[in-house]
Amino acid sequence: MSLVETAPPTVRPLRGSLLRLVRSELRLVLGRRRNLVLLLGLALVPLLLGTVLFLSQDTALDGQGPGFVGRVTGNGLFLVVASLFLCLPFLLPLTIGIASGDAVAGEAAAGTLRYLLTVPVARGRLLAVKAVGALTFAAAAVAAIAVVGIVAGAAFFGLRGITLLSGTTVSLGDGILRIAAVVVYVGLSMTGLVAVGLFFSTLTEVPVGAMAATVVTAIVCGVLDQLPQLATIAPALLTHHWLDFAEFLRLEPDWGVLGQGLALQAAWVAIFGALAWSRFTTADVSS
Amino acid sequence: MNESRRTLSPRARWAVPAVAAVAVGLAFVAPPLFASADDAGLPTVSPEELAAQVASAEPSPLSGTVVYTARLGLPELPFGDVGGANPVALLGGSSTIRVWSDGEERSRVALLGATSEYSVVQDGPEAWTYSSTDDAVVHYSLDPADVARFDELKAQAEAGELAVQGDLPTPEEAGRQAVEMAKLTSTVTLDSQTEVAGRAAYQLVVTPRSDTTLVGRIVVAVDAETSTPLRVQVWSTSDTETPALEIGFTDVSFATPADSVLAFSAPAGASTREVVVPLPDMPAEAATATPDKELPEGVTVTGAGWDTIVQASGLDVAAVVAGDPSAAASLPGVDKTFGSQGAADLYSEFMPEEGSGSPMGDLDTSALYETLTTEVPEGRLLSSALLSVLVTDDGRVLVGAVPGATLQALAAR
Repeated sequence: MSLVETAPPTVRPLRGSLLRLVRSELRLVLGRRRNLVLLLGLALVPLLLGTVLFLSQDTALDGQGPGFVGRVTGNGLFLVVASLFLCLPFLLPLTIGIASGDAVAGEAAAGTLRYLLTVPVARGRLLAVKAVGALTFAAAAVAAIAVVGIVAGAAFFGLRGITLLSGTTVSLGDGILRIAAVVVYVGLSMTGLVAVGLFFSTLTEVPVGAMAATVVTAIVCGVLDQLPQLATIAPALLTHHWLDFAEFLRLEPDWGVLGQGLALQAAWVAIFGALAWSRFTTADVSS
Repeated sequence: MNESRRTLSPRARWAVPAVAAVAVGLAFVAPPLFASADDAGLPTVSPEELAAQVASAEPSPLSGTVVYTARLGLPELPFGDVGGANPVALLGGSSTIRVWSDGEERSRVALLGATSEYSVVQDGPEAWTYSSTDDAVVHYSLDPADVARFDELKAQAEAGELAVQGDLPTPEEAGRQAVEMAKLTSTVTLDSQTEVAGRAAYQLVVTPRSDTTLVGRIVVAVDAETSTPLRVQVWSTSDTETPALEIGFTDVSFATPADSVLAFSAPAGASTREVVVPLPDMPAEAATATPDKELPEGVTVTGAGWDTIVQASGLDVAAVVAGDPSAAASLPGVDKTFGSQGAADLYSEFMPEEGSGSPMGDLDTSALYETLTTEVPEGRLLSSALLSVLVTDDGRVLVGAVPGATLQALAAR
């Protein structure tokens, strides 16, 4: 498991190779057909939801539904929020788990990891490149829902100033800003899951195992969060602050709550990022 | 950095996540430990002085977050997070409430659900409730004649010429009297100073002398600077670890909230219901009401102090409860179809009978009643950590902060 030497003269080409590696990783992640299908699937959620709500808006079921679904027919902006709300428990963790669980284990399974290690880039940096790829995919996944959501929402129901959960109506510009903040917050809420996926990905050469473990982590956290008996550990669970994006739809968002949510993600990133680094830089790579 | 890491042994590399985990753990666990580790070093006061300070304190504008936790030992309610923010949730578990007040007559209180909110906005004689779950507004207002009377009374109060003004004791007197009253049945002491929502606070402890009541003690934390009560804990005798009821600020600021927060106008598209509330004939009467005022017909009081049991007769609780869901369904405007029985129940929660003044007045649906009470030989008993309610089959209701058995014994007499 000898690591690639970096003698001082090779420092300059190393930087170039790191950039090249990032570029090729992004091309790999965003160009892979499976990942594109996943993004397409996520993008279909707001489209389908919008269509269904559009077709049923003159029936007695108009304005009903869990979470924000009931508000969509009144304002297309809520299609973004409703779609994110519906994707958060399962679909979003699933797609992100697939992408991040595949990051290292996929290369190992395909037998390309050892060739990747011959690139004059340290293993730590290679892992960072893989993390950039997985994070980019996570961002793309959330953006796919948001962009299709706002376009479909505007087309089906029109956009207007949003009525907050507190009953106050704010202007369209303010509303769009708030929805954008919701999207960014949901995106940042996925970083912990990406770190978990990356760690599982370094543990195994079977990508499906890493993907499944990642998705299971998110789901188990979600289930444990529901149990009142575990209230003491709930604030440490990965999913605990995921729904706090609703803060942006309150009269005065509580930045303390949002900060807690981001700090929690940072904590999971720190721990699982460090675990992934330790594992990846000490592992024997044979395939 | 890259160079130095390269030389790390595998064991050292595995130490990195361990260090990260410890650092994260410290970052999350340590701040509360540091915060609660000191005595605030406030000047010492007597319980009487503290009570006087509270009574004389000007109501100050404030905004903050309140966490309310009830561990009343009631059965688990059938609707939890599913229903969104709903006042029924206050019966058990933990709720987060945001509060804004200008210290005078405008305020907003919002009960937060995960992705929902139940707001109560008050502006002088008007009040609104807004439930984001079903996008419904209830507007409570006085009728025009009462509004005029309200304004008149307000003007009088501001000018200090309200008739009862002279009868009211000074704040110091009121504080002393309150402590004296409490001392008749309880011991009033000051506990060690504490910190609530990051502010130094005194703790006033009222401990009942009676040992048959369910109430163990009541602890009020009072902000040292503004004399605003910041936290109230009610401890039951059955649990010495955690308070049965706790309501307190986790975050508070004494700045005047923005005008936009205190204003309310019904959002477009929301269903709005108007409720006209009658103004009581003599609003000042409440302030001077004494415990020994005449009791309404059919109400008797047994026992004294903390063991007081109030008994009301001639009430057919079961019929009232059973009649409610159908009454709600017959209300005007309820012509929607519901996806499930749960949704219908939930809807009826928010549809109080016409004219019932408070948003909490609509709690008595039969399902809730069945869940909360248990069958006993005398009728149905609701027993919680702090309060027992016995509804007998012959139409009496007994309420007291005493064990259920005491109520049953009294009812059987």
